[in-house]
Amino acid sequence: MNPQLFALAIFDGIAYAALVFLVAVGLTLIFGVLRVLNVAHGSFYAMGAYATASVGAAIFAAGYSPWLAFPLMLVAAVLVGVIVGGPIEKLLLSRIYEMEEVLQILVTFAVFMILEDVQRLIWGAQPFFEASALMALGNVEVFGITYTAYQLILLPAVAVSVLIGLRLFLRRTLSGKLILAVTEDREAATSIGINAERVYLVTFIVGASLAAFGGALASATTSVQPGMGADMIVLSFAVVATAGLGQIEGAALAALLIGLGRSFAIYLWPELEVLIPYLIMLLVLLIRPEGLFGKSRTRKI
Amino acid sequence: MTERVLLEAKGLEIRFGGVVAAQDINIQIHEGHNLAIIGPNGAGKTTFLNICTGYLKPHKGKVFFDGKDVTRLQPRHLVRRGVARAFQIPQLFTEHSVLENLLIAGAAQSRRWSPFRPLHQIPERKAMLHLLDMVKCSHIADRPVSELPEGQRKLVDIAIALALKPKLLFMDEPTSGVASSEKFEVLDIIAEALTEAKVTSVFVEHDMGIVDRFADEVAVWNRGEVLFRGPPDDVLNHPDVIRDVIGEEV
Repeated sequence: MNPQLFALAIFDGIAYAALVFLVAVGLTLIFGVLRVLNVAHGSFYAMGAYATASVGAAIFAAGYSPWLAFPLMLVAAVLVGVIVGGPIEKLLLSRIYEMEEVLQILVTFAVFMILEDVQRLIWGAQPFFEASALMALGNVEVFGITYTAYQLILLPAVAVSVLIGLRLFLRRTLSGKLILAVTEDREAATSIGINAERVYLVTFIVGASLAAFGGALASATTSVQPGMGADMIVLSFAVVATAGLGQIEGAALAALLIGLGRSFAIYLWPELEVLIPYLIMLLVLLIRPEGLFGKSRTRKI
Repeated sequence: MTERVLLEAKGLEIRFGGVVAAQDINIQIHEGHNLAIIGPNGAGKTTFLNICTGYLKPHKGKVFFDGKDVTRLQPRHLVRRGVARAFQIPQLFTEHSVLENLLIAGAAQSRRWSPFRPLHQIPERKAMLHLLDMVKCSHIADRPVSELPEGQRKLVDIAIALALKPKLLFMDEPTSGVASSEKFEVLDIIAEALTEAKVTSVFVEHDMGIVDRFADEVAVWNRGEVLFRGPPDDVLNHPDVIRDVIGEEV
């Protein structure tokens, strides 16, 4: 592998890891607080991408500035989180917290299937491609390689900001402490008057918005088409399991590990591209069944 | 002089399968008193606490607080109205520091708070430090709760209950798990803090020494009913109470 290919594999891996991290961190946040493994999480990713690409295509065709793509991504992410995620938690998940995990997974899987069809109903089966945001930022040259600034700088910067922001939010702010308190002991939290139901709802919306934000950012780099949610949910499960369920910092490292593993596979052994993330997960779980950072039994996010 | 009735239970009844845990419980709790509830195991003492704090719904009967029917309210809504509870095992967030536990409790009550405000800039901080001072725990404000001995956990738990600004505090064996040499000391601190905060208290207790020292009224529970009620001297010396409740402990 020549040095340029090596650098290219690293850049690809980091850009991809940033997107996977945004989705996986939402998944692990929801699991950490609500204790529900949400299969429908992949749908939030896909819907964030669809909303951004379709609305973006319409407004850029009308002649608006491509820089509007960035606020559009944020708005799309929050809207998907609130409009799609909110009712799912409030009407469905809130009724099954006390039930068996198998049932919870089946219910969220059903939601995932329904949302897949909803996407087809709204956006059809034709792929969308809307790269105005990617173009707007232009290219940078590093080590003699020309790479898009969007993928090399913006995506990793967003991922790192989300990681730091989420950590400060949870450890330093009052709302974060309330979330951690409910996570540690829901009953005790209720006994001092904390509205645990609202904490669950807000956490779910935040987690769903993170996935949708990942999708919104991804829409500028890839074609948006049916099935993208399924690919992403499986991959982010691998990241979350590798990191240890509920581990936010761990999810960042695992996303990087899996992102880099995948991009090196593309250059070195293309036939292993799909397999590598799961090989990494398998290896980690063989040695540490609770994941890289997981603690057996203790609840932590 | 008639005293104001803070809480009133009327005709409470609840059964678990065939077991009667409350059977026509009628009791008034007056403002400013420390009422001890005593009785043999299974008499329904904790069940009564659970009903009054919203954790159990009675099959019959009603609970009135401040004159309003609160029978069907959820625990957190009762907390907001002024009914707090300290559990037998302190319900603390062990991963957080003592002060953080209080700030969380205070924040849960406050109706106006900014969600992104850093914890150390919260206006209630000073009031919470004062509460810790009241239970003689200001020196451990920054220690994680997981490191504290049982006696201090109990005191912090009481401070948390006071952070909820209650009018009425239910306590389930406030000194259980505390070494007997420290029991009175812990209890005196709790009593003093409750007096300073002007909180009426109702507590379930098995230790008659504590009842005698701390309560100004005693109610005796047996088989889901209130048998007697009166000043500690009268109740604790009543032959039936000695035979059925206190037993060999005397």
